[in-house]
Amino acid sequence: MKNGMVIDLDRCIGCQTCAVVCKMHNSLAPGVWWNRVFTQGTDEHQTAVGENDNLQMEFLPVSCQMCSDAACEKVCPTQASYYDQNGTVLVDYEKCIGCRYCMAACPYGVRQFNWRDPRETKAEAAHETAVALDAGLATNEAELGGVDRWSFARTQVVEAACLLGYPNPQFEGAAHHLVYTQNRPRGVVEKCTFCAQYTQNGELPACVRACPAKARSFGDLSDPTSEVSRMLASCSTVRLREDYGTEPKVYYLPPSNRKA
Amino acid sequence: MPEPTVDKISRRGFVKSCVALGGTAVLSGTIASIIGARDTDNPAFAANPDKPLRHVRSTCSPNCTGGCGMVAAVQDGKIKTIIQAADYPEVELNPRGCLKGLSMSNLVYGPNRMIVPQLRVDGSKPGTDNFTDVTWEEALDTAAVRLQEIADKYGPESIACIVQVAATGHVHKGALSRLAALAGWSMHGGYDMNGDLPMSAPMTFGVQSEENESYCWPDARYIMVFGSNLAATRIPDAHFLHEAQQAGAKMLVFDPNYSVTASKADEWHSINVGSDAAVALGMARVIIDEGLYDSNFVKIYSDLPFLIRRDTNQKLLAQDVAASAGLDVPADIPCYRRSHVFVTTDGRLRASNPQELLADVVPEHIALEGSASVQLGDGRIVEATTAFSLLRTQLEDYGLEQTEQLTGMPGADIARIARQAATTSPLHLIYGASNYQWYHGDLKGRALALLPVLTGNIGNLGGGFSTYAGQYRMRFKPAAWWKVDGKGPAFVPFEYVVHGPTETMTARFPKNGIRAWIIFCCNPFDQHNLNNQLREQKQNGHLELVINLDFQKTTSSLYSDILLPGVTWYEKTELVTSPVHQYLQLMQPAIEPVGQCRPELWIFRELARRLDTDFDQYFFPELGVEEATSEVIRLLLAQGGDEVEGITLEQLRKGPVKMHHGSYGTKRIPFYEQIHDGQPFPPVSYPEPLENTAQFVKSGRIEFYKDEPTFIELGEALPVHKAPYEETEYALDPTYRERFRFSYITRNSIHRVHSTHADNQVLLELKDHRPKLLVNPHDAAAKGVQADSKVEIYNDRGSITAFAVLDPGVKSGVVIFEEGWWQDQLNGSYNALIYPHIKPTHEVYFVPQMWSPNTNWNECLCDFRPVGVEP
Repeated sequence: MKNGMVIDLDRCIGCQTCAVVCKMHNSLAPGVWWNRVFTQGTDEHQTAVGENDNLQMEFLPVSCQMCSDAACEKVCPTQASYYDQNGTVLVDYEKCIGCRYCMAACPYGVRQFNWRDPRETKAEAAHETAVALDAGLATNEAELGGVDRWSFARTQVVEAACLLGYPNPQFEGAAHHLVYTQNRPRGVVEKCTFCAQYTQNGELPACVRACPAKARSFGDLSDPTSEVSRMLASCSTVRLREDYGTEPKVYYLPPSNRKA
Repeated sequence: MPEPTVDKISRRGFVKSCVALGGTAVLSGTIASIIGARDTDNPAFAANPDKPLRHVRSTCSPNCTGGCGMVAAVQDGKIKTIIQAADYPEVELNPRGCLKGLSMSNLVYGPNRMIVPQLRVDGSKPGTDNFTDVTWEEALDTAAVRLQEIADKYGPESIACIVQVAATGHVHKGALSRLAALAGWSMHGGYDMNGDLPMSAPMTFGVQSEENESYCWPDARYIMVFGSNLAATRIPDAHFLHEAQQAGAKMLVFDPNYSVTASKADEWHSINVGSDAAVALGMARVIIDEGLYDSNFVKIYSDLPFLIRRDTNQKLLAQDVAASAGLDVPADIPCYRRSHVFVTTDGRLRASNPQELLADVVPEHIALEGSASVQLGDGRIVEATTAFSLLRTQLEDYGLEQTEQLTGMPGADIARIARQAATTSPLHLIYGASNYQWYHGDLKGRALALLPVLTGNIGNLGGGFSTYAGQYRMRFKPAAWWKVDGKGPAFVPFEYVVHGPTETMTARFPKNGIRAWIIFCCNPFDQHNLNNQLREQKQNGHLELVINLDFQKTTSSLYSDILLPGVTWYEKTELVTSPVHQYLQLMQPAIEPVGQCRPELWIFRELARRLDTDFDQYFFPELGVEEATSEVIRLLLAQGGDEVEGITLEQLRKGPVKMHHGSYGTKRIPFYEQIHDGQPFPPVSYPEPLENTAQFVKSGRIEFYKDEPTFIELGEALPVHKAPYEETEYALDPTYRERFRFSYITRNSIHRVHSTHADNQVLLELKDHRPKLLVNPHDAAAKGVQADSKVEIYNDRGSITAFAVLDPGVKSGVVIFEEGWWQDQLNGSYNALIYPHIKPTHEVYFVPQMWSPNTNWNECLCDFRPVGVEP
């Protein structure tokens, strides 16, 4: 079995739903994106490129390309980056020592590093939340005779905001690699796992399930009857930077340029 | 590849949370437990595989009106993840949902989430976050007392309720309507308040709006999109456009500005701002001149064969013709319909039957063009000409050259597209809010409607005339709950609150004005025009009381006196419909209400019993709120009419249930009964009874000739192109012509639903936390504006600052600001610039949310400059 993905760029409308559902389900801290959608040729998403009537707006979703010959895996000194039995490139968070060789090696810039404990970042983003509790609350408690229920409610909200995302850890293979945990430890590298917490249980990655444009397909590239195999057989596809020889397992159907 | 972005937490946020950590004992415990503990054994983070996730299906239903089934995964009573339910039996609808709905938990547990009822601190300035937490008893008692004071002082009609997006919440939103009906309060209709009511729809078809559900899009073979960015505003539906193209359809986008939708189209035409009607009329002329129209369709279903009196410019009435008995005038015509007169090919006059379109009419015997001298009952002889002949004459002004000049579109393209549109069926014309939220938006829609009607593309699968803007519409009879014994609240159009009453208005306005608001899930202090003046109304005391019921603390909360914390669609049961699909769905509680929040039915019931003990009985007082909600849903289903007949709450608990419709096949076809069964226009627009909207098209047909005096006086009896700004901005202040040369377009963002999600941290990250102004690079250069630099956008009414984005897709002379930011995220309010110009044709009738003055968001001029540079 060899898991891969096909993304139809004609269908992609650049809505970033894949990026957001990835972020929410994988409990990514603020600033971290495993999956991003670019507008080719500009830094401003969903703006035009070109001049006058000769304009275009083409989107490119990019997450881990799940290379078959992955530079990240080669350079990892601890074998924290590895292939699972389906060819998916994963990171064992318990083995990663944070040397970031993999980040330097990855030609796609999809790996991200936890400089801090993500829980800190999340707690800060949940904010200001904290501040909303402020002095007003304390006086109010006094007025209410020390009843603690209001503050109880607010702290619950803060806590819930910090604990969004798929909650349970995911261990992979006989070696019990820790490949998903809601809050990655400080000092490890993280990236797309094809949603290990879902795919290992027979479900689709969140971005595939959620794409409202139905631009993404996921499945077994070694099974000729799978949807992805049939798409590869019937359509012309491209992969990012094929010249690097990384053999990605994420394929793109290029846009068709219908314009007259 | 760009480098991954690094952590962008602002310094302010960091400092603040450090303060919180050190400063508040209550909180520091929790935060410390989150931040401080490194070991994964900490119970706050303990991953417990034995703890199963509970999955609850609800319906994401903000003011996009998409109505998307979602499943929340819940652990420990908290939402963890949200994903599309993808459980529609018609699988092509799956998965419905977008980035906003999938990150809704950021609002459920958001930084501005309401937790407890609050009262404004006495003497504190409106607009400041100066509130005291109180008990529900105190909040509700205070609300009841203050409301009673206002009612005693100014009359209960001076209290107005704002309910947005009625069909997204039949039970809880209906509860406020019910209470308003009991208490005699007024109501502002959201559909006209938001400018979403396309006035051409009631004028032409007699309906509030009628559109194809999105799964009909692939059935079209020619799709013309005017001023609609469906790929951004209808994200879950956009794939159907792609599928239409795959099936062989051609999609054309007509929009001054390039958009995502334009990028997916086969053709994009950057027409001049406000010139949509001219495009349509130029094409209509080609279609008529070249005989490409569906003559029989036009004769049977439109008013174009009818004689127009040249002395009055009104339609000749059969009853006014001498010896009208000879015309075979149908008997028993209801007061809201008229029999008109047409000429047969052998030169005889005949009376139309406004009750039955297919009644003994042989279209081949109807003369579409020509004139006649007609003797009236009083002996006078008048000249009369068919509306079609008048239209043909009027279209002489829209030759290819003139049209090219008006629209900026090459005449050859106009002719080519007209021919293609007329010969490629089904033709589906989509007109968005960017097309019609203009002073002359009604004319644009009426002109554009010519294309599908002349070509016979109404009532056929895939064809039609659709808008997808806003919060329309009710899909079954809600009266059993929304009214009390058939009586609902009186409506006051919101435009009169900001503009003041007009001499031409037909709606009633309370003699003491509006002095108090009860706002339910609406943010008018950000989201409505002249909102700086609205804020002043609150600050100077004219608006004496604002009660705000919302699950978030928005800008409007800050201008309120009493904050009643409501719930999201994961904390209550509610009944939901959408205009873009046919499914009836429930919101269902995945979690207990956060904090002290309460479902709104509970809140209104508690308020009702404090206002009058007799009101109690109307809200199922003996039941808990969930049980009462269930009873209301049962009531609505039992009395909702044919569309929901036989559908049960128990079915809905299991998943979406498709409503019934009268079309053949599985897909509902707008106007099917009119075209195929000859029923008169219009079909009913709920919640109004038929006679209220049937008066809009008294002929019982699609009307292009409007003969109410206002239309005639304005020269708008037939669709015509009128230039933007002339009767509005330039009329109000002639100096605007020179001083403010930029069209100010406030479009929707993919990252918000209007101002909902304005504080969604994940979506803000995708926006770089920055409000942006999109400008054409040449315009920017002329103003000395660099990319990413701060600019001020202004006119005499207001000003805001944003970061410049140079976008070659923006037409020169246009600036685009993505609406929905909250006051505290901007320096000013983007809606302050927009004036409530009221067009008299919107006042010919008043039926709330059906024929009513609309907000013309785009009819606004501005200028921009680098921040710090004086003009």
